[in-house]
Amino acid sequence: MRIVVAEDLYLLRDGMVRLLEAYGHQVVATATTGPETLDVLLTQRPDVAVVDVRMPPTQSDEGLRAALDARRRVPGLPILILSQHVEQLYARELLADGTGGIGYFLKESVFDADQFVDALERVAGGGTAMDPAVIAKLLSSGTSNRRLERLTEREHDVLGLMAEGLSNQAIGQRLFLSESAISKHTTSIFGKLGITDDGNNNRRVLAVLTYLNNA
Amino acid sequence: MEREGTRTRQPLSWAASAAVGFVRSCVVLVVSMLVPAVWAAAAGLWMWWWGGNPWPAIAPVVWACVGTLALVRPICRMTRFLVAKWTGTVIPPGYRQAGPVMRMSTGYWWNGFSYERTSRDARRDQRMRLWWSDPATWRDLRFALIAPFTMGLVAAVPPAGVVAAVVGFGHPAPSMRLIGALGVVVAIAAAPYAWRPVRPVAVRFLRPSPAMALADRVDELTAQRADTTVAQAAEIRRIERDLHDGAQARMVALGMSLATVEKLMETDPDRAKALLREARAGATASLAELRDLVRGISPPLLTERGLVDAVRALALDSPLETAVSVDLGLRLDPPIESALYFGVAELLTNAAKHARATRAGISIARTDAGIVVDVADDGTGGAGARAGGGLDGLRRRLATFDGTLEITSPAGGPTHVRMVVPCESL
Repeated sequence: MRIVVAEDLYLLRDGMVRLLEAYGHQVVATATTGPETLDVLLTQRPDVAVVDVRMPPTQSDEGLRAALDARRRVPGLPILILSQHVEQLYARELLADGTGGIGYFLKESVFDADQFVDALERVAGGGTAMDPAVIAKLLSSGTSNRRLERLTEREHDVLGLMAEGLSNQAIGQRLFLSESAISKHTTSIFGKLGITDDGNNNRRVLAVLTYLNNA
Repeated sequence: MEREGTRTRQPLSWAASAAVGFVRSCVVLVVSMLVPAVWAAAAGLWMWWWGGNPWPAIAPVVWACVGTLALVRPICRMTRFLVAKWTGTVIPPGYRQAGPVMRMSTGYWWNGFSYERTSRDARRDQRMRLWWSDPATWRDLRFALIAPFTMGLVAAVPPAGVVAAVVGFGHPAPSMRLIGALGVVVAIAAAPYAWRPVRPVAVRFLRPSPAMALADRVDELTAQRADTTVAQAAEIRRIERDLHDGAQARMVALGMSLATVEKLMETDPDRAKALLREARAGATASLAELRDLVRGISPPLLTERGLVDAVRALALDSPLETAVSVDLGLRLDPPIESALYFGVAELLTNAAKHARATRAGISIARTDAGIVVDVADDGTGGAGARAGGGLDGLRRRLATFDGTLEITSPAGGPTHVRMVVPCESL
């Protein structure tokens, strides 16, 4: 894959480039500031970009804004946002346009490199990838708890993985279950929560997250 | 030789002090008698123009009152100026400061009291109201009324002696000549001392009243509190940023390296090994960074051993050849120790970085004024507390404890900075 890496700290940029190259991907460009990120995203049109939230010149959410800006101009441009902390607010902003090809991860999710590269490929393919930490926070918030108490423990797990953006097949692999078993669980979940499932992973993530957010 | 010198010098210096004293007495007399002069003029006018009729007396009385009120503040300013010039005693004026005059969206001007059509009206109105409501005005008035009967009366002695001499010697009668001679003696004897009551009288009656001092103190503390809040917020943001870009980022990089190594183990063991070595170095570096950060928040040595040893350690770490002399055995309050420690650290850094000094001297001593910390260097000087700069920040930090910062740093050096923190608690 052709990848753009936007990260202002040399150490992390360098580490990320080496990791991606070790997995046989090609880093076509790097960026170190918000405006530069936007510029590189629009000129390079990478298969996927890894973008840090906090970047110069303001050291605020420059990277996030560059990513949102780029996706406004090129809908569906696959971007994976990396941050040292995860915020529901950012997740909602990223998912708001509903076009998919978006990911939001804690930086340490990179430590499990296989899963990280999996997620990156999923985003490149137009899917959604949410950090388990974001989802865990969502699922454990007070109001969610009340509305989700009708789900069984297994259904709870499936819902979390669904929200992370995994397909039924991937969820099955994680939970060591068959795809058809997962299918049964999802149907049951949607039935209990009153959400319709049209089989599209992105819309499914969105539906689940919207449900949880509005809970 | 020496004896003869002092013998001739003594009368000379005495004559000089008598002459200076005479001039000063005259000045004091004039200043303190301005208000009585206005009233005398009004009375004279009344007698001369209206022949002493009781009813028209109202007009001269009103004029005299207006004249008194107008003269009060200049008289007090002059007295304060004279006392400061002659005795070095500075008496704070304690007048209320005018607030800003702002133009509102309606086009009118707001001066803190009322709306006016023009900025000139607003300012005039503000001046009048401030003058009227300022307790300092009433204090000044009281002083102007007391001054003629205290310092004015005493200061009148030498000029009165001279007048007596002139009148006395103008008459042929021997008794009058005696009075004239007496006048000369009194004038010369009293001259060096007659102006001196101006200081105690001014200090007693012109200094800000307790209420005014209290109001000033409240203003000062309000400003300090705001400063402290801002400084604290900035400090916390600095710590967050240092952690985010420093230790936290290094840990992430370390994890990334390990993930890469895991992948490379199978395909490229040599590169994996090199990466592992880098990762180990990264772990060491991140520990060092964390240590520096902790030291920047609260130096462990300061907690464990107190200001003196912490400053000694600072001197050892400094690139400058630094001597520390200490006359202080006790531990101070931790916040004061911390403020002084970071003050010394900042000054040493400045000396090395900006003034390119090679040597520095630090002395810590306890005096009646409190804890006095002197930091001197042989650098290029030119240091000053610019708004928002490091020294300005230091001054604010010390101000929280009513401490002061004195900077003596001529261009070309050397620089000498003194931090004083009053310390009754010890």
